[in-house]
Amino acid sequence: MGNHQLASLIKMANQIAANNTHIGDDVAEAKMVADHLRKFWARSMKAQITEYLESDGSELSPIAKQAIVLL
Amino acid sequence: MLQHFDPEKDYGTPAQVSENLVTLEIDGVSVTVPEGTSVLRAASEADINIPKLCASDNLEAFGSCRICAVEIEGRRGTPASCTTPAEAGMKVVTQNKRLGKLRRNIMELYISDHPLDCLTCPANGNCELQDVTGEVGLREVRYGFEGDNHLSAEKDHSNPYFSFDPSKCIVCSRCVRACGEVQGTFALTIDGRGFDSTVSPGQKQPFLDSECVSCGACVQACPTSTLMEKSVIDAGQPEHSVVTTCAYCGVGCQFKAEMKGSEVIRMVPYKDGQANHGHSCVKGRFAFGYATHDDRITKPMIRDSIDQPWQEVSWEEALSFASSKLKGIQEKYGRESIGGITSSRCTNEETYLVQKLIRAAFGNNNTDTCARVCHSPTGYGLKTTLGESAGTQTFDSVMYADAVMVIGANPTDAHPVFGSLLKKRLRQGAKLIVADPRRIDLVKSPHVETNHHLTLRPGSNVAFINAMAHVIITEGLEDTAFIAERCETEAYQAWRSFISEDRHSPENTASVTGIDATELRGAARIYANANNAAIYYGLGVTEHSQGSSMVMGIANLALATGNIGREGVGVNPLRGQNNVQGSCDMGSFPHELPGYQHVADDEVRARFEAVWGVSIDNEPGLRIPNMFDAALDGTYKGMYCQGEDIAQSDPNTNHVQAALRSLECLVVQDIFLNETAKFAHVFLPGASFLEKDGTFTNAERRINRVRKVMPPLAGMQDWEVTQALSNAMGYEMNYSHPSEIMDEIALLTPTFTGVNYDRLEEMGSIQWPCNNEAPDGTPTMHIDSFPIGKGHFAITEYVATEERSTRKYPLLLTTGRILSQYNVGAQTRRTENQAWHDEDVLELHPQDAEDRGLNDGDWVGIASRAGETVMRAKVSDRMQPGVVYTTFHHPGSGANVVTTDNSDWATNCPEYKVTAVQAVKVNEPSQWQQRYHEFNDKQLSFLKEGREKKAKARD
Repeated sequence: MGNHQLASLIKMANQIAANNTHIGDDVAEAKMVADHLRKFWARSMKAQITEYLESDGSELSPIAKQAIVLL
Repeated sequence: MLQHFDPEKDYGTPAQVSENLVTLEIDGVSVTVPEGTSVLRAASEADINIPKLCASDNLEAFGSCRICAVEIEGRRGTPASCTTPAEAGMKVVTQNKRLGKLRRNIMELYISDHPLDCLTCPANGNCELQDVTGEVGLREVRYGFEGDNHLSAEKDHSNPYFSFDPSKCIVCSRCVRACGEVQGTFALTIDGRGFDSTVSPGQKQPFLDSECVSCGACVQACPTSTLMEKSVIDAGQPEHSVVTTCAYCGVGCQFKAEMKGSEVIRMVPYKDGQANHGHSCVKGRFAFGYATHDDRITKPMIRDSIDQPWQEVSWEEALSFASSKLKGIQEKYGRESIGGITSSRCTNEETYLVQKLIRAAFGNNNTDTCARVCHSPTGYGLKTTLGESAGTQTFDSVMYADAVMVIGANPTDAHPVFGSLLKKRLRQGAKLIVADPRRIDLVKSPHVETNHHLTLRPGSNVAFINAMAHVIITEGLEDTAFIAERCETEAYQAWRSFISEDRHSPENTASVTGIDATELRGAARIYANANNAAIYYGLGVTEHSQGSSMVMGIANLALATGNIGREGVGVNPLRGQNNVQGSCDMGSFPHELPGYQHVADDEVRARFEAVWGVSIDNEPGLRIPNMFDAALDGTYKGMYCQGEDIAQSDPNTNHVQAALRSLECLVVQDIFLNETAKFAHVFLPGASFLEKDGTFTNAERRINRVRKVMPPLAGMQDWEVTQALSNAMGYEMNYSHPSEIMDEIALLTPTFTGVNYDRLEEMGSIQWPCNNEAPDGTPTMHIDSFPIGKGHFAITEYVATEERSTRKYPLLLTTGRILSQYNVGAQTRRTENQAWHDEDVLELHPQDAEDRGLNDGDWVGIASRAGETVMRAKVSDRMQPGVVYTTFHHPGSGANVVTTDNSDWATNCPEYKVTAVQAVKVNEPSQWQQRYHEFNDKQLSFLKEGREKKAKARD
């Protein structure tokens, strides 16, 4: 797993989560973020972020984590 | 080659629109015209051609030359037909002895002060003065030529593209009126009175030193050779012409390429061009010389490493080298280890083929386009809210707007022909709101002054648009009927509740936006209360970490006020490059097939698979920034890049260049050895827009034909090169003309089913959607419904960018464009447009300059967390304190060395518009610039070496 891409992916996932936290319902927000990742992220990106969550995940925001679990 | 010989008749005065028709008799012929039509035009429409000199149908009647005088039964004298409205029952005589004598007398006076060098005059063969002299039958000049005259008046050759010879001027004022009425610059005037009257640029300045923007409207208006293209002076009059579409900005102006053989003599804006109506800017009108510049590369080249000289090879060898390298990479690193980039500078057919090559021959969805770095948030934002990834109007729609809000766009520089149309509407009284950190020309220019200039801080767009919506909702200015009928109720209620919160008020957001709350409230009221209010926006909206949220915020505003679905309103993204809309439409994005059809949709994929004969990956591919990251991580190793210069245009140059260096095979297809090509292993020579057939789609969704006017210098049009590469890769393509590619696009794209080249010939252009529901296209979108049924209000929470000013980097840098240069400058830097802007400079506020001891012209070092570069300083009160600005037209200026890899949350569109920087006075170029020049020199020497070796081998 490369550092460049992973660092970007963590930042992107957190940013997507931060821009979808207006509902006030963690489950619904995580679903929106997960839908976004499914729709726009490449297979390799989804695999990398999932792998990161499983191995560490410490830099991901709570909503981002919940979303990645849904992938 | 399609030839278009259009006489382009000039009817003398503009067409009038009226439901009331009047019938009159002209030379015994009954003529019916709309009320308000001049007698001159009424006659012309009946093919009764009254001689004229000061009249032109793109200018209001002036009545100065009197050549068009007529007799009208029951009226005294001989009124000018251009200024006389046609009336019911009028009986007009246009030719008789009395009128003939009058016209000869007038022409005799003109000619008595005009050089009689017709045979050697540049206008010979295309001179209205000469034509009218012939028409009136002037046979002698009784006054002689010895009296006072202007024959020795000094010529002005200062403009790089046209000369001004006042000795030939008849002071008809057509140039002055064109500059004002058509262009809206008002750079010209008639100085002096009577015999002393002369055309004066600015304050009797040379053209180049005046406010003239070199749009060419005056040259086109001149009935003599007073204002004449230097190319015509040098080469003589053209002998045939071909109508084609400009390859610069997203306005999509049509031009007549006026030719001698295969040489373009001049580009004349096409009167029937449906986006430009015969107007142009300095780029489209004059800056076409790059197409035949000595820097053009016309031979394919290859090399194993970027540290080696290039080798000129045959097309076959280059394509075989590229395909074996790319296939080898896939064998070694996997199917997803290569990809490609399509270009908004190329045609629809070319971008379609590139993405098809990637999906079908490469077998993955790693396709992206330069719209990633400009308008990808427009696609996301408008699709989410309105259901279609496109602007809603025609350009002409602005003529029905009562209030116009321009956000983060600079139309007079970046979309000049639309800028002129907008200014025309503003002069008619429409109100103007400008939201921009910088004082752009629209804020205050002759006869135009904005009602509110909202000088928002870079990065605060969403807080600003939320505050606008807050005012509209809390003051009850929304269009409740439109919302109830056309919008999703639940989403609206949620949004209404969100936006009504007091935290979004102008007063509470002022500390973030920097906008005076009273000003913002005033602007919101103007927008909401206007009968028709239109929003025009540019990259100042999209190139932010919340670009997509801002686009949705704009759409929310239009939905809330019912400003959608008719003339004069709408959400109008001003597209940067000529075919941004088209490249997005054509499936360039990694998650969408042509027509914005998602790759995960099985039914969609099945249709494409049936026609393409391959299976298509159902997962999105990598976007450009993801490609760079993957390249640095060693999982992305090969790329095909057509017509884009990512090494210069994309942010964080050090990061991009490191990614490009890490590729094992970079194939670049371009007309020049651009910055990206210096990192390439295969160079495939491209064709300029003059050398190819195809279509561009402008910002109005208007599909315009691009027509080949000269043979491709390298022997192949770009679509042919992609086809050959695909065949070399083992995926067969067999198109014989771009029209066949368009037929395939129409077959697979629901919004294009009615588009084909025959229809384009017939209609001139077509605005998509064009299908069974809209067989003639769709000038205005969303009239009765949205593609998603009802309009969707999206909640747009303001999330501050991570990029903020600090003690170390206290200024905010924002980047943009200038009139005379275009994008990365690869084209315009190779033209005389360099006369206006031969280097990028850093604009900064006088206070920021004084704090740093900087004066105009000083070298200033600009440092951000991404990198450092050096430019000259330009002290400018256009800037607000704390905000600095530059352009990125010159590679050596390194503007993108400073910009960061921050990007829009939804689309990864880079945040070019907000970079925290420090600026200090320095004495030498930055280390990056020193490295750049060294690398550039080396790459140019590799090019030279390869060419010399080939030349020797030929000898």
